[in-house]
Amino acid sequence: MGWRAALATWAALLGGVLAAWSLAAATLPMPAYVLPPPTAVLEALVDLARKGILPTYVGESLRRIVQAALVAVAVGVPAGVLLGMSRRAAEFSYPLLSFFQSVSGIAWLPLMLIWFGFGERTILIAVNYTVLFPVVFNALLGVRSVPQIYVNALRTLGASRWRIAWAVLLPGALPSIATGVRLGLAYGWRALIAAEMLVGANGLGFMIFSAQPFHLTARIMLGMGIIGVLWTLLDYFFLRPLEDATIARWGLVQR
Amino acid sequence: MGARVADGGLSVAGRRALAVLRHRTAAFLLAAALLWGGWQAFLGLSAPGRIDAALGPALARGGLVNVRVTLGFAPEDFHTRLFQDYGVVRGVEGPTLLLNRVRTEDVRRIARFYWVRRIAPQ
Amino acid sequence: MRAGVRGVLPFAVLVLAWAALARSGWLPPVFLPPPAEVARTAGEMLADGSLWAHVGASLGRVALGLAVSVPLAVTAGVFVGLNRRLAPVLEPIAGFFNSLSGIAWLPLAITWFGLGWLSVTFILFNTIFFLVFFNTLVGVRTVPRILEQAVRTLGGRRRHLILQVLIPGALPSIVTGIRLGVGFGWRALIAAEMIATTTGLGYLIYDAANFHRTDTILVGIIAIGTLWLATDRLLLIPVERWTVERWGLVSRTGV
Repeated sequence: MGWRAALATWAALLGGVLAAWSLAAATLPMPAYVLPPPTAVLEALVDLARKGILPTYVGESLRRIVQAALVAVAVGVPAGVLLGMSRRAAEFSYPLLSFFQSVSGIAWLPLMLIWFGFGERTILIAVNYTVLFPVVFNALLGVRSVPQIYVNALRTLGASRWRIAWAVLLPGALPSIATGVRLGLAYGWRALIAAEMLVGANGLGFMIFSAQPFHLTARIMLGMGIIGVLWTLLDYFFLRPLEDATIARWGLVQR
Repeated sequence: MGARVADGGLSVAGRRALAVLRHRTAAFLLAAALLWGGWQAFLGLSAPGRIDAALGPALARGGLVNVRVTLGFAPEDFHTRLFQDYGVVRGVEGPTLLLNRVRTEDVRRIARFYWVRRIAPQ
Repeated sequence: MRAGVRGVLPFAVLVLAWAALARSGWLPPVFLPPPAEVARTAGEMLADGSLWAHVGASLGRVALGLAVSVPLAVTAGVFVGLNRRLAPVLEPIAGFFNSLSGIAWLPLAITWFGLGWLSVTFILFNTIFFLVFFNTLVGVRTVPRILEQAVRTLGGRRRHLILQVLIPGALPSIVTGIRLGVGFGWRALIAAEMIATTTGLGYLIYDAANFHRTDTILVGIIAIGTLWLATDRLLLIPVERWTVERWGLVSRTGV
């Protein structure tokens, strides 16, 4: 379908939705705060940006997720690769990693509240935990899935374990690692919003949650939109390209 | 002996994928860095203009000062909580906050907020 | 038998390490009660029915979410997927709503429905709906045209086309969507139960934190992890694998 037709459909769809929304907002027999019109959401955007609230909260959420991503890669990839290098270690860790990945960081939050109270540390631990486990798990799986023939080939040529890890295991595991990073961040971004709601002091989660008792529904919708847009940007500019490039380049393994 | 053992040669698709990665991600990062840098420069340049001249001597002296911070709007909970990190919020008059015991470095920090209109002595 | 032992051994080692850590006195007992105490609390909660009540509440919400969302999402996905004008435009929009799904809807849900089971279940509705809708849409669109044309040349009507080609062809994608929806939904549910309601596993552990009942928290965490792990490994993954083997033309995932 040509891009002109696509654009026309897009515009028609967008126009239709905005019109229906505005109409519903104007005619619904419910208090105004239940469904603010699209213009109210736009006003909220301008208002919160003007007051410096929005950039601050967005910055705080982004800071936390980026930090969690960096830690997860720096710690999780080596950990997963090391565990994957030994068949015994891999078999031992697999059930444990599965279990701990099944328990989201948010489920650990009550325990972290007892240990560290309501504060930044609690949020960071919950989010870092959530992003870390899929990365370790997938790194381990990635290493285990490298065909033994490559490892043996290098070994017969006299390469050390570390050389093998660096030259064969790590590249071979990269597609799996990229998928793990993407999954970990998908879980982690959502865990971050939840943690900011629960341990609230700042951040996008806090922004939308604290707006609710004051019936500032336009702010809630604005915040939701920004949460979605930020993830879409992160995915489109970083995670998807990473996944595609690693699979295209080193894809030995079926996803 | 490098990674080529594992990758079986860089395929056409792989080369294209790497080019896309370089293009899309790098472009985004570059744009983001430029925007951020420009914004920081703007903040740094506009900050001194927000500090009232009458505050000059007090700042030069150093120590703690009491200030009136005027915003372009009535402060919300967000702002009072934020300013509690910099001093003691003594009161709010319309768009102005009365802030006590602020360090001189913090006055300059507050001046960097683009949403602050003026910082004057009390 | 050996596989079972291999699966249990790591957890046995974990529990032993936990017991040793608790006994060492390095951490105060409120931070980490010994496994025996947690087991005892679990026994008490099973006996007096409180654990069953909370598990039932959480699982019931998942079941309700699935029952309402899956038929709606599959129907919507098939009809949009068939529409050659709408499908390419709605696909990225559906992808955007995927990234918005889950806990971010909670403040809006509370605005509309107040606190309680409906707001919490709504989170599950939209998480499962968007993921299944997106995956159905993608699945339907990737069913090879040649099969559609084959059915048409054999004189089949639209009904046949949908029931005998498109839905089976899209089934692997649909099941993947359900798996992802329940996965993300379960996590969002736990977080939502902490905030907005008074039953369910999320509420159980969050409330226990208020009373420093770490043993209850650990019972809840183990229940959360075990329920998801069991559901995923014993039900969802085998079903996914079976549909791919049976009808697997293409299987694409969307997160």
